[in-house]
Amino acid sequence: MNKGCRYGTHRVLAPAGTLPQPAQKLDNTMSIYDNEVLIDVQTLNIDSASYTQIKHACGSNAEMMKKMILDIVEERGKMQNPVTGSGGMLIGTVKEIGPNFPKGKIKVGDKIATLVSLSLTPLKIKEIKKLTADSDQVDVEAQAILFESGLYAILPNDIPEKLALAALDVAGAPAQVDRLVTEGDIVCIIGGGGKSGVLCCYQAMKNVGPSGKVIVVEYSKDNAQRIIDMNLATDVIVADATNVMDVYSKVMAITGGRGCDVTVNNVNVPSTEMTSILITKGQGCVYFFSMATSFTKAALGAEGVGKDINLIVGNGYAKGHADLTLNIIRESQQIRELFEKLYV
Amino acid sequence: MKKGNKYGIHRVIEPKGVLPQPANKIDNNMDEIYDNEILIDVQTLNIDSASFTQIEHQAGGDKAKIAEIMLDIVAKQGKHRNPVTGSGGMLLGTVEKIGDALIGKTDLKVGDKIATLVSLSLTPLRIDKIKDIRPDIDQVDIDGKAILFESGIYAKIPDDMPANLALSALDVAGAPAQTAKLVKPGDTVLIIGAGGKSGMLCCYEAKKRAGVTGKVIGLCHSEKSTKRLMELGFCDYVFSADATQPVPVLEKIEEITNGQMCDVTINNVNITDTEMTSILSTKDTGVVYFFSMATSFTKAALGAEGVGSDVTMIVGNGYTRGHAEITLQLLRESDKLRKVFTELYA
Repeated sequence: MNKGCRYGTHRVLAPAGTLPQPAQKLDNTMSIYDNEVLIDVQTLNIDSASYTQIKHACGSNAEMMKKMILDIVEERGKMQNPVTGSGGMLIGTVKEIGPNFPKGKIKVGDKIATLVSLSLTPLKIKEIKKLTADSDQVDVEAQAILFESGLYAILPNDIPEKLALAALDVAGAPAQVDRLVTEGDIVCIIGGGGKSGVLCCYQAMKNVGPSGKVIVVEYSKDNAQRIIDMNLATDVIVADATNVMDVYSKVMAITGGRGCDVTVNNVNVPSTEMTSILITKGQGCVYFFSMATSFTKAALGAEGVGKDINLIVGNGYAKGHADLTLNIIRESQQIRELFEKLYV
Repeated sequence: MKKGNKYGIHRVIEPKGVLPQPANKIDNNMDEIYDNEILIDVQTLNIDSASFTQIEHQAGGDKAKIAEIMLDIVAKQGKHRNPVTGSGGMLLGTVEKIGDALIGKTDLKVGDKIATLVSLSLTPLRIDKIKDIRPDIDQVDIDGKAILFESGIYAKIPDDMPANLALSALDVAGAPAQTAKLVKPGDTVLIIGAGGKSGMLCCYEAKKRAGVTGKVIGLCHSEKSTKRLMELGFCDYVFSADATQPVPVLEKIEEITNGQMCDVTINNVNITDTEMTSILSTKDTGVVYFFSMATSFTKAALGAEGVGSDVTMIVGNGYTRGHAEITLQLLRESDKLRKVFTELYA
């Protein structure tokens, strides 16, 4: 058995010297290196931006969509949409484990979801068994490779697969909240009504305890009402997060001018950096989960207003994030029902 | 005196509701100041280097034309924010007047010589006359006035060093000050872009904090800066590499650290595609501090997840409490730093 690199660079065919994600083409030969796991794939959960692009390009014709997916994988050795650059996740069963893959965590026969993107996962599809234009879950007969550095979660018996997948998709957010938020903190969650927002609110409420505050800033009235109904915040503000002074004055009114210890930004629209910075108190911290965050707006913005705060780039991975998130689904019947209704 | 807003929103003319930095036009009337403002008699503008290069280029190197472009920017916007690059710079001047609400709250007094550490891109400015332009160090001497808002940061220019030397170091004051906060005794620290202005300050500060049990590794690009950094002697290891190539750098760091990787990585290099190199060189419980303005948020965020690294990634904040004092102190402590800064930047 050949010795592999931790990050899978041994599978990069072109261009040389890059990592599997930016690579044009990966080697998808399905015999494993010493530190890899071979997976029998059951379902591909294609990233929604990617799936929408494929659907449009094929005029929602299922046969053409199948062909397009097969062509991408044939050409690149992975399911990375050449237009959107994005991938997705997969569900499958462990078929074989290399002797140098970290031991003791999975065994042959386990059903797992990969939590690294399909955009870097070697994949070979034998057949697409079921594809419909309106669901981004594609059932396949296929095999995939998980690298030594690759993340995965063993699917639990007590939570339906699709519900587990929906929650695992945003597992990083509540796990980071758990690390950052301590008892008595004032926390603001911008975009608190969405999928990751709801999980963050739950975790924040748990961590701040009775002496803290969780403030949600939410654009949609319906989402805001849901947060109130589910008792996932102490204060809810309905506002446009790009309107800096409006949000600032409302948060200051609630906090008695003190501002927040921790601000978590989950809202996927641009130009919410200054709002996040201004409502956070000096020495506090802003966690940017939004992929619409501009690095320069955040960096220059904080300096421009002389704010000594920590600005953190959201990392989708934190140790133990899958377990923590699945536990929220177990603990909170309300969130479980909401997710079943909205995402399953 | 009229009551002003802490962040200077009272000076925004259009568009309404934004802060002074993104505003297209701000009020630069200096006849009357608000109660929480400081009026500065300006001596020198230190134009941001990207901005100055653009103006110089547009003017074809002609000084009279440079002056005309600068006056036009200020006439239109009430501040010196380059419309192409969006950037500003700093200024050097003397405190002329202090708003009533700040008396007793600020350590400044009329007559103090200060440098503003907030960008010119948000500072109300009036230029009466351009006196001299020094293209090689991006400095312009003027007659004019500027306003510092209550939230604005500044540093008093010390008596024991030339104003130009202090300015050149204050320009990048955030980097060594954040290094001082992050690095602990015994840490292994990687500085990417270690041979540049902020890089050298970070290397010096990192070694001071990491101590004899720690290790400071400097990654440079050009042969010249590599040699210069080696001669300064601040780092335990200095090597030259292309920071956009993660795999060769990763292998080199593995070799130097015996596979342990770095506790803290500080990225100072102003080129794109160095996020993965920074992430992979760092322990998965470590910290990456991105000072480079060329950092892509999404490349950093998705990159760490893609390789399953639990690293903490921080957006470089040019301001941290005490940053000016920390940075000026470095030039006092180290004759080597002071010498190289005087040669290169003052």
